[in-house]
Parts: sequence; structure tokens; C-alpha cells
Amino acid sequence: MIEKYKEWYEARHEYAVQWKKKTGGKVLGYFCTYVPEEILYAAGVLPVRILGSHEPQSVTEPHIFAMFCPFCRDCLAQGLLGRFHYLDGIMISQSCLHLRQAYTSWDLHIPTQFSYYLPMPHHVQSRHAVPFLRAELETFRKRVEDWTGTTIGDADLRRGIQIVDRNRELLRTAYETRKREDVPMSGLEAMYMVVSSQMVDKAEHTQVTEDVVRVLEGRSAGRSGTRRLMILGSENDDVAFVDMVESAGATIVQDDHCTGSRYFWDKVDANGGDPLTQIAERYVRRLPCPTKDWPARRRIERIVQFAKEWDVAGAIIIQQKFCDPHEIDIPAIRKALESAEVKVLFLELDVTVPVGQFKIRVEAFLEMFAGDDLF
Amino acid sequence: MITAGIDCGAKNVRAVILMDGRVAGKASVPAGMDAASGAEKAFDAALKEAGIARTDVSKIVSTGAGKNEPRFTNDVVTEVGADARGIHQLYPEVRTVIDVGAEEGRAIRLDARGKVVDFAINEKCAAGAGAFTEAMARALEVPLEELGALSLASTQAIPMNAQCTVFAESEVVSLVHRKTPKPDMARAIHDAIADRIASMARRVGIEEKVALIGGVSRNVGFVKSLRDELGIEIILHTDPEFVGAIGAAVVATDQ
Amino acid sequence: MAERYRTEPLKLWNKAKELRLKFYENYAKAHERGGIRWAGGAWTLDALPRGLGEDVWSLTSEPYSASIAFNKAMSLRCLEASERAGFARDLCSYMRNYWGGIILNEYAFPEFSKTWPEPDFIFQDHICCSHAKWYQVVKDLEGEIPMFCVDVATGPAIECENGDFRYIPIPGHAVEYVVGQCLDAIEWMEKVTGRRFQDELLRKAIFNHFRSTSTWASICELQRTVPAPLDEKSMYSLYVHGTLGKASQWCADFYEELLGEVKDRVARGIAAVPTERVRVMSDTQPPWAFLKVFRYLEEFGCVSVGSLYTFGLIGQWEIKADGSWGARTIPASVDAIPEGREAMLAEYVRYELNKPEWQHFYHPKLKSAMMVKIARDWKLDGVMLHYNRGCEGLTVGIAENRLELQKAGYPVMIFEGNMGDEREFDEPRTKARIDAFMETLGLKREFATP
Repeated sequence: MIEKYKEWYEARHEYAVQWKKKTGGKVLGYFCTYVPEEILYAAGVLPVRILGSHEPQSVTEPHIFAMFCPFCRDCLAQGLLGRFHYLDGIMISQSCLHLRQAYTSWDLHIPTQFSYYLPMPHHVQSRHAVPFLRAELETFRKRVEDWTGTTIGDADLRRGIQIVDRNRELLRTAYETRKREDVPMSGLEAMYMVVSSQMVDKAEHTQVTEDVVRVLEGRSAGRSGTRRLMILGSENDDVAFVDMVESAGATIVQDDHCTGSRYFWDKVDANGGDPLTQIAERYVRRLPCPTKDWPARRRIERIVQFAKEWDVAGAIIIQQKFCDPHEIDIPAIRKALESAEVKVLFLELDVTVPVGQFKIRVEAFLEMFAGDDLF
Repeated sequence: MITAGIDCGAKNVRAVILMDGRVAGKASVPAGMDAASGAEKAFDAALKEAGIARTDVSKIVSTGAGKNEPRFTNDVVTEVGADARGIHQLYPEVRTVIDVGAEEGRAIRLDARGKVVDFAINEKCAAGAGAFTEAMARALEVPLEELGALSLASTQAIPMNAQCTVFAESEVVSLVHRKTPKPDMARAIHDAIADRIASMARRVGIEEKVALIGGVSRNVGFVKSLRDELGIEIILHTDPEFVGAIGAAVVATDQ
Repeated sequence: MAERYRTEPLKLWNKAKELRLKFYENYAKAHERGGIRWAGGAWTLDALPRGLGEDVWSLTSEPYSASIAFNKAMSLRCLEASERAGFARDLCSYMRNYWGGIILNEYAFPEFSKTWPEPDFIFQDHICCSHAKWYQVVKDLEGEIPMFCVDVATGPAIECENGDFRYIPIPGHAVEYVVGQCLDAIEWMEKVTGRRFQDELLRKAIFNHFRSTSTWASICELQRTVPAPLDEKSMYSLYVHGTLGKASQWCADFYEELLGEVKDRVARGIAAVPTERVRVMSDTQPPWAFLKVFRYLEEFGCVSVGSLYTFGLIGQWEIKADGSWGARTIPASVDAIPEGREAMLAEYVRYELNKPEWQHFYHPKLKSAMMVKIARDWKLDGVMLHYNRGCEGLTVGIAENRLELQKAGYPVMIFEGNMGDEREFDEPRTKARIDAFMETLGLKREFATP
């Protein structure tokens, strides 16, 4: 059943088209994981993440200046090439400037019923962020109500929270099993698991993941003795790259990506209070994107904690070319990891990965550990 | 009316004698270190082919990177202006012209009168399509002239990074390591350049008909990749390197 | 071809220079005088630290970094020092210059300080992804200097339809969010400096802020005149005061004096560029090491009369009853500003969130609408967009601005460069591009000095 994730990932568009046919519901494409999916689920809307296709293209040059990251161009290209033709709406929550352009150009050039920019606060470490976001979520709720012709009451919101939280819980449980010496799932499988959860109905994903989590109890991925690594960076659904790393004698056991742990790690934990406040608290408190990780760098604390608890020997920092918010943190991350005795490999990724070239570097990186074993 | 156009490129200088709108003589010489003397030589050779003397020419206009070097010209026009006027003279129906040379790529959109509406020049990171194919031909150990034909024999498309020349080169190395068939590598290279050039051309907005000029338009592999990427027909000129010089000679006919 | 207009140098030119130098001197020597020095961006809410006393001096990061960039030799040293410390070359070039100066322990004005004068605290705004992150690194480099950042990215203050734009009221929760952070910041400043905050000084500073930002917009309004009384290259030397100390008395006073002189130039038909035939605007910060590009334009009789950047980085605007875009109306006197810390902050924040250069962060269509308005009302013939590799914040959406300007009928030229890293600017190729653009505008290089 774990193969289901890959199927979903590869047939994401067919899935969404089928889902619409089956349910008659609306599908909304979102650009950033700060989008409050709870409210969309409460309204019966299916949120699907807009990701790239890792292919060269020539359609975004008129819209996005070349110094912005390849990921935002790849995302916009999907829209311009008509691959998300089934979307009823699009939205973004305020995060980095790069991805924002994919959203705004999409908004300008690809007609959709519903388009929304949610001013997610940046100063998430301020006590004023939650009331501000609460008010924004209230406006957003009304806009979604108008669009869908539904009423989103508190009970609906709690249901939305419950749907999303349950999925988060299971993904986290699955990640916990990767602490085992005999890892029950490969990094590639884990990547498919999380990324597919951004593409399919959470209820359906949860159903499969309930089973997966049970199976993982007694499963071995047969990767004992390989080098335990974690990967970090912005968005990463580069399956070819992860496959290459794992076939070179490593296993990825944890990550800090918004297509990985940053997406699902923190729950809302509704406790009967005001659901919008609780949703706001969750997004303010969650594992931050570096754009919001100031004045203190909380993300780095978490990365080091993950490295220790998942017992990794090394980390690969995957830099999306031109991604300033991540790039600016790299010297600090490197320092923190190295002082925790985690070796670091830095790689800069573009739309497609020069696998052969990177393989040489990954192999050299893994050789460094072999040296440690000797002495 | 007899006019002359001199295109002082970085690698070659090309001269054209235009007699009542018809090319009466043309010549190309290597630019060398001294663009001025190259221009003299090219001009003289073109005059000779046309069978006329310098004094028969009423006006001479130069263009190209070294357009200010020759002393004997009467006026200058930019490469963008020369391409536009040249193509308009040859193919008045053309609205978009793409010029891919050794060091620079350009896309120009013109109106029905041949006036430039918008133009784009490749940015630093995507520069040098011609130089890039040369380097890639060396990497594949194939003569440059054969690279185009080779890619027509390809049976599969391999996506290659289109954003940055340096990354693209490292990808070619990976392909070599993976023992990818040479025709497929050649095509991957041409597809990548075609992506970059198409990106630039889309910036000015593709309006048909589209003409491709410049030395790289002789590369049949690249032309096929560009046609496929843009999904339209492309007009090619038999003397693609001379369009700029023709355009300069046309400018010289202006009062 | 003969010159068309009379020109003369600005009378206030030397004063402008002196004020700028004084600013850097005051910062460097603040401690000698028992004062406080702090650092923050040019957009930070700098009226706040002024509540700590009259002997509080700041260093604003962007204009300071531009000063480094202008000094090619120092800039290269700084950029390389940042690179050696592990920072990537494609990061904001202002940051890299600034960090480099700290790493090298150099001040860009050695006549005032031989070494880098560390600030006592950092007070920064945040709307660009790099704003707070910039100072996070500064904090690392300087050893835990106290830092406070205020998020001002609360959503747009204008909306547009069919190319026309209008201001919309700032929602209450947005004002509360920013004011809340400001109140926290004030408490924090009292703690880190050990001083008592004086609301009356804050009130004065807010009034000065209103004066500076509105008066600067009035000066820019006068650029509608043909011939333009100022050219953009000179405006860079004049808007800078707003980026140094928009909430200071000296800046507000200077702008009022400058407005008088520019009005006089208009009345007497004095041109910045005597050969003015064609008018353009630019966008984003220029490549500071290559301002001569603007002189090159003059050789064609082309003058850049400004940009949304020079008009709206500091200037505050509003839509007037006749539909024109003009200087924002401000309270008549300091007494018209409400008393009480929270109330005056609310007035300040509600005003400042209208900043034109904050709007494109939400959507390029908002910037396009303002740019098209400038193109029409300032009688432009074309636009030159600087695709600035050094600044994500101001180039975000720039490609869409280009398309929109073209749709509105304006020829647009783009040139790639970098405001603070001259290694990314290609002078001959940029000039070749300008040549081609001028040719399409029907201009020849007639005014080149042999």
C-alpha cells in the first residue's frame, strides 16, 4: 500500500480531475504551506499544492526575472502550460517573494474563479501575530463562504482541523519510526508519502497512512548499515535526486523541507476554544520557513534536535538556486550542525538535477564517513 | 541608388553592396584584432564582386559590435536596427526576427513598416549560444558542422537544465558518464539552447511570421529544436550571417 | 543641434552633500558625545528611537551600503569578505557590502572613524524577506547586539481596476498589529538603553516624518514640468536624505528649502538637462558604481525624470480630487497629531503603510498601475527598467511591470545589473542596449562630447 503514494504523486492531475467528478467539489491550488488548509477542508474544498514538474520550459521568461528561484518558475510554467486546468481557485499565504511571483503571474494570466492572497504575518515571534492572523482568517473564511456558497461554522472548522490534524499525526508517527536503526521506510518513500498528502484528499490519504503506519511496525526497508542522513532546504520533491543519494549507500531518515517535516510536524490541537484562533496559533507557532524565522533562529534549534534524535551522521543542504531566505541561513546552519558533529554537504539545485555530477559529490561525502570509521 | 552596409561583428566583418534594393556584392573576412582594417578588406571585396568602385557608393552605414571602428562609413545603426531593416527588406511579412550568433542572441519584434516595437538581448547567464555549441561539440568530440545532423538522428528527448550555461555543461558531463548515445546528447544540447532562445523570444512576444538569422541558424539540429519548442514554422535565409549588413545598407538608403 | 533650455546647478547642492556627510559623522561620533547610535533600514519606523532623546543617531543600512558600492575598491573588498564568510554571491548586494564592512572592521567614511562603529541596538522593519534576516547576520557578526524588528507586511493599501488605482482604508487589525509591535519596541528600547522614552519627542518626530515624506512627493510632482527641473541622477543625491533621517527636523527642513528652489527653477524654466527631447523613467536602485549611464542618456537628449523608486521609496502620495497623484495631505502642525503614545503611533502607522514602494510586495499590478500613472502624467516617452540582480525586494514582479507598461503603449528597455556588485554590470553591453533603445525612440547620439 506504500506504493499508493508514488501513484498519487505521479498521477496528481488525474486524481484531482477524478475527485471533482466524484464529489462535485471545488479544487484550489495553493503555493505555500502557510495556507490554512483546515478552513478549506471545512468548506469541502480540496486544496492541492502547486509544484513543478522538473522539466525545462521556455514559457515563464516574460513573467519572472531570471534571478528568482527555479522552483517559482517551474510552478508558474505548470499553469501556463495548462496542466492545472481543473483548478477552481488559487491562493498563497504571504511567505517568500519568489513563490509570490508564481502566484501573482498566475493570477494575472490564467483566469480562475477564486484567487486569494493571505497576508500571513512574518513576525511570528511577536505576541501580536496571532490576533492579526485571526482577523485575516476571519476575512478569508468569509471570502471562501462567498465563493463556495456555503457557511463555515465553528463546527465545520473543527471538522476541518480534525481532518488535517489526523493526517499530520500519522505522518509524524511514520517519521518517528525512521528513528529505528533498521529503518522501515526509505527517504524516497517518505518523500512520496508527504508530497502526495499535499495532492490528495486528506481523508483518503489518512486511510492509507493508517495502514502504512501499522505495517511500518514490522517492516524493514533493508537499509541497515547504510549512512543515515538528513536533507534540508526549501521545497524538494526531486525524487531523482533522493533516489540517487539512497542508491549511493545512504538512507535519508529526516528532513527540514516544506514538502517534508515543516509541512506537517505541528498540529492545531483543537480544545474547544475559538477554532480560528487555534488555527492562527498553529501557523504562527509551526516550524517556520526562514522568511519568518527571526529574530531568533528557531528552525536551526529544530534541525539540530532532529539530527540528534534521528541519529544522523550527515546532512545535505539542498539549496534551491537563488533562494535568498534559505541561503542566508546556511552559514549559521552549517556552524550549528558542525558543532553538533554532523557533517554537511552543500548542493545547489536547479529545475533538473545534474545527477552524474552530484553523484560524484555525494559519493565523496559518504567516503568521508568511511574515513571516520577507520580512525 | 547604390549603398553599402558593413557589419563589424566580433569574429567576422561582413560587407554588402546594395543596388536598387538588390544585393550586388557581398564579402566576409575574419575581424582579427583590427576591425577597421577588416572592414576595409570586406568592403573592397564586396565592391569587387559588384564590379564597382568606392566612388559609386553614395552612402555607407556600419553596424555590429565594432561599428564605430571604420573611418570611411557615413553613419552607424545598431545591430537591433540593422537586423530589423534587413529582414524587412528580405521578408516584409516577418514580425519577429531571432538572431543567434556566436556571442549574442537577440529577438526583435517589428511592425508592418519594419519599425522595431520591442527587442530582447540574452542576459549574461544565457549568453553565447554559438560559443556554447562549439564547446559542446568539443565535449562530444564531434566536428561542429556535424553536431546538427547528429541530433536529427536522436530517438529520445533528454531534459537538460536550460537556465544556466555552467549547469548545462555539467549535465553534459553526466550524460557522457551515463553513456548516453551521442545523437541524444546532441539533441539535448540543442533543445537546451532552443529553450533559452525561445524564452528570450517569448519575452518580446512571438508574432508570426518568424525568421531566424545569424550563424547558428545553419545548425539544422538547433533549428529543429527551436521549431519544436515554439511550435511554429520558421523562415530561414540562405545567407543568415549577412542580414545585418543588408539592413545597414538599407538604412543607408534613408534620406 | 543646439541646446533647447537653460540650465544651472542646484544652489542647495553643497548643502545636500554636507548634510549627508554630517549624518555619517554624527553616527560615528555619537559615543564621544555621550549619545546613542543604532542601526536599521531606510524604511524602518525611525520616529521611534527619536523618543529616546535628541542625541540618538542612526545608520541606515541601504544608503550606507550604496555608499560602499559607490566606492568600487572598498566594495570589492567587502563583497569578497562576505563571500569568504560563506555568504552566497546572489544574496542582496547591500547586505553583502554591509556585512563585509563589519568583517573587515572598516567604516565607509574613514574621515570620521577608522574602524566600524558598532551600533548599540538594531531597530529594523520587515517587508522584504531579507530585512530582518540581514540584521540577524549582523547580530551574529557583532556578537549579540540587541535587535528588534517590526513586520509591516500587512497587506496592500491600494487596489486597482483597469489600470486605475485608488487608496483603500488600512484595516484596523493591521494598524493594531504594527502599533502593537511598536509599543513592544518602545518598552524594549527603554530596557536596552536604560533611558526613559519621551512621547513628546516621538510626536515631534512623527510630524517631521510627515513633513519630509510629503514634501519630497511635492518635489517629485514638479518633475512633471517640461523641461524637468531635476534629472534622476541628481535626485539620487537628494532623495537620500529621506532614507537617512526622514523623521528628523533637519531632513524635513531641508526638503522644504529644496521644494522652494525647485519651484523657482520651474518658474524660470530651468532644465536639468538642456538638451531634453525625450523623457523616460527608470526603476529600482541604479547600479551605483555606474551612474554615468544617466549621463550617457543625455548624449541622446534623453532625460530620466525619476521613477516610482525615487518618488515612492520615501515620498507619500494620495489621489487628489482632480484625479492626479500628488503629495499626501498632512496635519497642519505637530499639535494636530493626537496625544497619547498609542494614538500617535496609530496615526503614524496608518500613514506609513501607504508607502508606494510597499505595494508591489503584494502584487505587481499595483506597481504597474502607479508606473503607468507616472508615465502618463509625467509625460514620458519610454521606460528603462533595471533588472537589478542585487535586490529581490524591488525587482519582485518587474517582468510583469514591463508587460503592463508595454500594454499601456510605452516602449520599455531592460538592462541587467546590480546596485551593489559591479561585477554583475556589463557597461559596453548596457550601452549597446541603450543605443538600440534610443534608436527605436528616434534619437541619435548628437550631444556626445568628443
